[in-house]
Parts: sequence; structure tokens; C-alpha cells
Amino acid sequence: MVDATLDLEIGLDKDEPRRAVERFEEFALEHGVPMGLTFKFQLALDELLTNIVSYAFDEDAATPVITLSLRLTNDMLEARLEDNGRAFNPLRDAPIPDLDLSAEDRRVGGLGIHLTKAFVHALDYERVDGLNRLHLVQPLGAHQEDQT
Amino acid sequence: MNVETSYSGSTAVAVVDGRIDSANAKDFDEELSAIIDRGVSSLVVDCGGLNYISSAGLRVLLIAIRKTNEAGGGLALCSVPDHIREVLEVSGFVRLTKVFATADEARASFSK
Repeated sequence: MVDATLDLEIGLDKDEPRRAVERFEEFALEHGVPMGLTFKFQLALDELLTNIVSYAFDEDAATPVITLSLRLTNDMLEARLEDNGRAFNPLRDAPIPDLDLSAEDRRVGGLGIHLTKAFVHALDYERVDGLNRLHLVQPLGAHQEDQT
Repeated sequence: MNVETSYSGSTAVAVVDGRIDSANAKDFDEELSAIIDRGVSSLVVDCGGLNYISSAGLRVLLIAIRKTNEAGGGLALCSVPDHIREVLEVSGFVRLTKVFATADEARASFSK
């Protein structure tokens, strides 16, 4: 029975999402999570973290705190991502990209969240006690079916 | 990330490897812009060694697609690993740029 956790604090720097998701990648591969699933979950975390690091805080924010808590069991990979930045629900507030537009008319805004939603099984948002809290869930069994 | 480029007239093949994310998307943008600024209108981006791309990297590709389209050429991708191809499909980028199996096929598509 696998029951592993990894807790990370993320700083406000453009290199921090990469540092965090590379730690996640090591953690996932070390515990035998399939590569394909690890890649998708890593991309989802990267997009969400990049949004937070880039937009959640004013430049003079007093004490920005961003935490990522990962938990892996035999059948599930879960992540909880919290920040004390401005309230932002990516599921509701991010622009929805129009994928049918030409390159000239396309906008990239919202693409990260679009990829995130496509690549994780479940994504929830809540605002609790001044925190944005995102919860990502990936059943490990479901991934095999997704491969088709 | 590393970009190695070979030029042939107004066509270039840029072989990209490693990882493109928000930490280095600006560098990737500078690399592609420098290639296009040398008069390249038809650009092949060889993704054979690319193991990761996030929306920050897609944004750079979109800019390069626009610039090369404007110059009367275009941008094509080749040798795309399966997991990167899925990112291109989900993001709708397969509708913005052609994806070829090899750099030769991608290059040939511009001379038609």
C-alpha cells in the first residue's frame, strides 16, 4: 500500500513553478506513477502555479504564502494548492479560449486553465479563510482508460 | 532548453530540446524572433527532443506562427513526441500549424 505525501512552499519568482513541478515529477516517478499521467498532472500544476505566481499578488503584497500538498495512494493522486492572494477562481474567472479562431485572432489567455481542465480528472476551487484553495484529483485507474 | 538552427535561404529548421515553460518562454521567444528577424519566412520547429511545453511556450509558438504567416511563409512542426502532440491537440494548435513526421517533409511543404 502506497501512501506518500510531499509538501512544498512556493516562492514568488518566475522560476518557482518549475522547481515545484520538477519536485513533483521526481516524487511521482519514484513511486511508480505512469509517465503519461505524471506529465499531465505536472502540466496542470505548472499552469495553476504560474497563474498564482504571476497574478495573485500585488508587488507590495505583505506576506505571500503559496503551498502545494501532494498525496499519492494506490488508486489516487491528489494535490491541494493554496495561496493567500486575491480571490480568483480559475474555473469561473479565466477566459474561455476560442480554439476555432485563426492564429491572427487567437488569444492565449485561458489556455493554461483549458489544458489543466483537460488533463486532470477533477478540479475544484473554494475560497476559505482568505485563501484560494484548489483541489486536483487523478484516479490512477482512470488514467489507463484515458490512454485510448 | 536549447535551440539549434540551420538556414537555407528564407527557410530554417530550428531543433528544440528540453523544456519550455514560464521560466524560459522569454528565451524561446528571443530565439525564434532572432531567426525570423534574419529574413526567415518559413520556419520548421523540430520537436524531437522537446520533452515539455506549457501554455507559456504555446504563446511563443503562436507569435512565431503569426510573424511567419505575415511574412508570406508559415511555421510547421515535426518529430513531435506523443505527449506533446496531445498538448497541441487539446489546445487547438494542430489547427494553426501543420505537423509533419520529419524535418524533410516539413521543409518540402514550403516549397510547394
